[in-house]
Amino acid sequence: MSDELIQIETPFAFNEENQREFDALIGRYPVKEAAMLPTLHLAQRQAGYITPAVMKYVAEQLEVSVMKVKDVVTFYPMFFEEPVGEYVIRVCHTLPCALRDCKGVLDHLKTKLDTDVAAETNLAKGTTPDGKFTLMKVECLASCDVAPVIMVNDDLHKNLTPEKIDEIIDNL
Amino acid sequence: MVEERRILYEHLDVPDINTFDVFRQYDGYTRFEKAITEYQPDDIAKMVMDSGLKGRGGAGFSTGLKWSFVPRDIKPCYLCCNADESEPGTFSNRYVLEKNPHLLIEGILICCYAMGIETTYVYIRGEFTLGKKMLDAAIKEAYEKGYLGKDIRGTGLNIDIYTHPGAGAYICGEETGLIESLEGKRGQPRNKPPFPAVEGVFGKPTVVQNVETLCNLPFIVGNGVEWYTQMGPTYADTRANPPTPDPNTGTKLYCISGDVNEPGVYELDLGLTCSELIEVAGGLRGEEVKAVIPGGSSAPILTHYELDTRLDFTSLTLAKSMLGSGGIIVMNETRNIVDCLLNIMKFYAHESCGQCTPCRWGTPWVRDIVQRIADGDGRKSTMTRPKFGVAENGRWGDTGETEEIYEDLDLLESVANNIANVDTMTWNTICVFGIAVSWPAVSYLRKFRPEFEAAIREGKLVTLPVAEATVPPEENYAYQQRFIPKEFADL
Amino acid sequence: MAFVKLNDLEIEVEDGTNVVEAARQHGIEVPHYCYHQGLSRPANCRMCLVEPHVFFPPAGAIVPDRQLATGCTTVLRTAPPDRKLDGKYDFIVRTDSERVKKARADILEFLLVHHPLDCPVCDQAGECDLQDYSHRHGHDKSRYLEVKNVPPKKDLGPDVLLYATRCVVCTRCIRFADEVSGTGELGLVHRGSHDEIDIPRSHEGVPLQVLDNKLAGNVVDICPVGALISKDFLFKSRPWFLEKANSVCSGCSVGCNITVEYKADGVYRLKPRFHEDINQHWMCDDGRLGYHYVNSDDRLQLPLKRVDDALTPTHWADALATITEKLSEIETEDIVVIGSAQGTNEDNYVLQQFAHDVLKTTQLGLFGHLPGEAHKFPQFTIEADKNPNTAGARTILGSTNGNTVLEGDALWEKVSSAKVVYLVSGAPERPLEDAEKAALESVDFLIVQDVLPSEVTQFADVVLPGTTFAEKDGTFTNSTGWVQRIRKTIDPPGEARVDWEITQQLAKQLGGEMNYHFAGEIALEIAENVPGYADATHQKIGDAGIKLADSTQ
Repeated sequence: MSDELIQIETPFAFNEENQREFDALIGRYPVKEAAMLPTLHLAQRQAGYITPAVMKYVAEQLEVSVMKVKDVVTFYPMFFEEPVGEYVIRVCHTLPCALRDCKGVLDHLKTKLDTDVAAETNLAKGTTPDGKFTLMKVECLASCDVAPVIMVNDDLHKNLTPEKIDEIIDNL
Repeated sequence: MVEERRILYEHLDVPDINTFDVFRQYDGYTRFEKAITEYQPDDIAKMVMDSGLKGRGGAGFSTGLKWSFVPRDIKPCYLCCNADESEPGTFSNRYVLEKNPHLLIEGILICCYAMGIETTYVYIRGEFTLGKKMLDAAIKEAYEKGYLGKDIRGTGLNIDIYTHPGAGAYICGEETGLIESLEGKRGQPRNKPPFPAVEGVFGKPTVVQNVETLCNLPFIVGNGVEWYTQMGPTYADTRANPPTPDPNTGTKLYCISGDVNEPGVYELDLGLTCSELIEVAGGLRGEEVKAVIPGGSSAPILTHYELDTRLDFTSLTLAKSMLGSGGIIVMNETRNIVDCLLNIMKFYAHESCGQCTPCRWGTPWVRDIVQRIADGDGRKSTMTRPKFGVAENGRWGDTGETEEIYEDLDLLESVANNIANVDTMTWNTICVFGIAVSWPAVSYLRKFRPEFEAAIREGKLVTLPVAEATVPPEENYAYQQRFIPKEFADL
Repeated sequence: MAFVKLNDLEIEVEDGTNVVEAARQHGIEVPHYCYHQGLSRPANCRMCLVEPHVFFPPAGAIVPDRQLATGCTTVLRTAPPDRKLDGKYDFIVRTDSERVKKARADILEFLLVHHPLDCPVCDQAGECDLQDYSHRHGHDKSRYLEVKNVPPKKDLGPDVLLYATRCVVCTRCIRFADEVSGTGELGLVHRGSHDEIDIPRSHEGVPLQVLDNKLAGNVVDICPVGALISKDFLFKSRPWFLEKANSVCSGCSVGCNITVEYKADGVYRLKPRFHEDINQHWMCDDGRLGYHYVNSDDRLQLPLKRVDDALTPTHWADALATITEKLSEIETEDIVVIGSAQGTNEDNYVLQQFAHDVLKTTQLGLFGHLPGEAHKFPQFTIEADKNPNTAGARTILGSTNGNTVLEGDALWEKVSSAKVVYLVSGAPERPLEDAEKAALESVDFLIVQDVLPSEVTQFADVVLPGTTFAEKDGTFTNSTGWVQRIRKTIDPPGEARVDWEITQQLAKQLGGEMNYHFAGEIALEIAENVPGYADATHQKIGDAGIKLADSTQ
């Protein structure tokens, strides 16, 4: 093997509050592994993104191999393996939003934030240099009646127009 | 003009209906109380069977029948509520979760009582942060008020509900994909059999139900089967002898989006027509309907010739489409069908779980072919061949004319059909995602072939007038029936 | 037993057999990639689609089922009397209908869309299921015009490389690591058409864990295509130039069934061979990669004799004469003969006979590797005894000796008081402990029969070049009492000779009456004389081995 194993310099561990939440989570399932998704959400909220240290920690907590965690992290697009901006902007680009000009929304955001759109394995591409925003395209957000929509972190914004977008971004 | 009949959504906009006290004022939990005081669990299961309730998640499978497959002697048994609403064009569950979560809890309680279930997992798609927050709060309240937890209302029932967030994978809406995901793995669907009713989550019998299906239960119990079956048409299934009743009862939360003036969720009796629904949703935005997707993006498209199709499970199946999750997307005359198909194929190529061969490598291939056509690089041969179409006898056959060969269109249809064959309704994949890919691909191509040909011929996307872009229904019908001898064609 | 109509055959199969196996039992191929007998069945490759037939009431007839089913998950069972098809069949299935053939060809087309078709430089070429099935079931051309995925080549562990472009994502390797080795280093990364097999890595590609468990090499065997490749075998030979012989691994006392793949110039690789009760489909990497000493340039090729304190090459006649001279003038009680747990039953039988009949000594010992580490996996065990034939050698050496075979401290005590010791080793790279060194050093005249220069040979007065497991016929008895055959593949290097032949030659020179011509002849005599070995003739052992009626204790 030419590759050296990665050295984890700062191990990850849940803070007190998340540890409490994790303890509650784990009791819900007959097998620990089942708590994978909620645990990863929790860990990502604390660490910002899923680092090798997080993967290792989660694997230990759930008593599975590290690969099982990596496997899941790469399958689900909501888990990030790279640092993302303070605000993650998800632009829906599936058909109902496309019929309501989501491309205009995306273009406007690109110009406004002066950034490209993130690729799934290259989030840095869609992250502004100041680390404030990450712009990414996502599939249907199940809000087709109020298309076009974006999500900024946990908040959904509906019926977007360039003016509305400006207002949303400027208020962040 | 068709009127909305709000049952599930009746109190949706009541202020603070998400709180226990307000929900209680509007008969909240009385249906559950009625269930546990007046009925035995088996009575409830029978009521659900008699109500003809069909699962609202997409497949339209009889809920009562599904329950009957669950072995009663294996415990624990689980209920998984599917709130992973991700089918493009569908958004009715979101409002239930965000605005009236107690209704869902009541539905879950009734299901748990009927099936002897103690643990329910509500799999909520990860992006529904507000919905999860509201449901979590409602669950907490229900625990406090003694409607969840140990010994509910002194009946000895123990029922727990846990919410489980997804993380952005469409395939987790497939029931076995959901189960795998719930077990902490990739959301890769399982081979069936065994069906989840027999061997589901953690290897135990599992009932998987959509949010909307569960929300129907309080009303079936509260108002009775007779009341429920009056809503929506009941057809006769003539494949059986004597014909068996084929109920399409109850209301449906139709989600309408795209080119209508007032997109939104409309609760209507099953069985209204496509044009009626467009009217309800404030009419068409634009001059002319070009196409309607009747059941989420995976449903085969309907042309303007087919607007009289009734939007219920049976009628749409007979029209070679499906009601699916009831996500209706309307497209007006300005829309380019090739472009729309490209958008949908990008969605499916992105969302394929990659587990089985035909879907993993077929879906992106279909996307790439459509992309090539949309880019103007579609291939067309310089040769011609006999043109097949509606021949003199009214059947599919040689018309005596010749036609140019559009190689990429033949390839597109062939590759899509190799993932799942839309004519025979068979799939080589593990789950029905395969047919969800080939259905739109083949139906868009067959019904709007002139627009695909134009894109290849002109080397760019060309939006044709509606009449010109659409293949006449007779031709489509004849094509679909091409393998079937004429004497059986109309059976 | 289920009574099944398979194509036009009427067959009986055990309840619980799947269609792939039932067909294989009757010489019908149902192509498959993800299905492997030793692993769970995800049915993800969709290659083994078959056509079950069902009774269709409206038509009142048995018709092909609407959906094709995967043969690997379609299990044949006896149907209740009222569910029999045609009144007698428990199941009706076709593997050769037009629909099945089309489905196979279509699936193969999908499997090949991203495949680089780099067969000319692929190690798997010649033994590749993609090649073979394409040849038998595939289309003759590709319709794929789009850009192919080109995932990078990856280093997964000490011996395993992943050529990701060739991978068909059947997940056999992942399931192996989950179910058989239980180490779980492998998994998928990304989704959909970008699915790749990998070990856990950081986003930058630095591994957190590598595929270094002791069973890792098996993933190369079970990979149906050229995606997982052994670094040990990489670019060494085209597989079709290799000759194959069924044998048994000499790495430990488990006795894994193997195939030795070789050419005239040496052994190229060892692969596990199925044995239901011993190793299933697997073998460990210690055994798999432990063959290199056979090909070593250092192998003893000529007899050596101590001249002026230095071991000097000599010829056989001289070496044997030196030994004969010494042995004929020594008292019986001063001789210790030591057999080898690395040697075959036949080697040890001849040695035992030599000691008993010719040297008239009862001082017999057993030598071999020191105990190593045992490893337990969910579905596999590696034994601590690193010798293939401890059980057999012990029984056979003791068979005319009241079952007393000197081992450990008792042996070295005896050695230190002996004048002449004839030690058969054959254990490569065997380090000596201090007590052992001291004992050997004190011996007047030490005869060592070995395959490589070692710590043992350095004390020798005469060294006789013996042979490894790859150069001789014979049998090993494993720790659970299975007697199994090893077979000669390559010729011994230089003038090295089969061990029992050397012993026999010595016996002859000392007036013994031994005259064996081949190992099977010795086995016949073992069968006659050694308790428990009555059935252990080469003929009866065959490729499957036989289990001793009452294991060797």
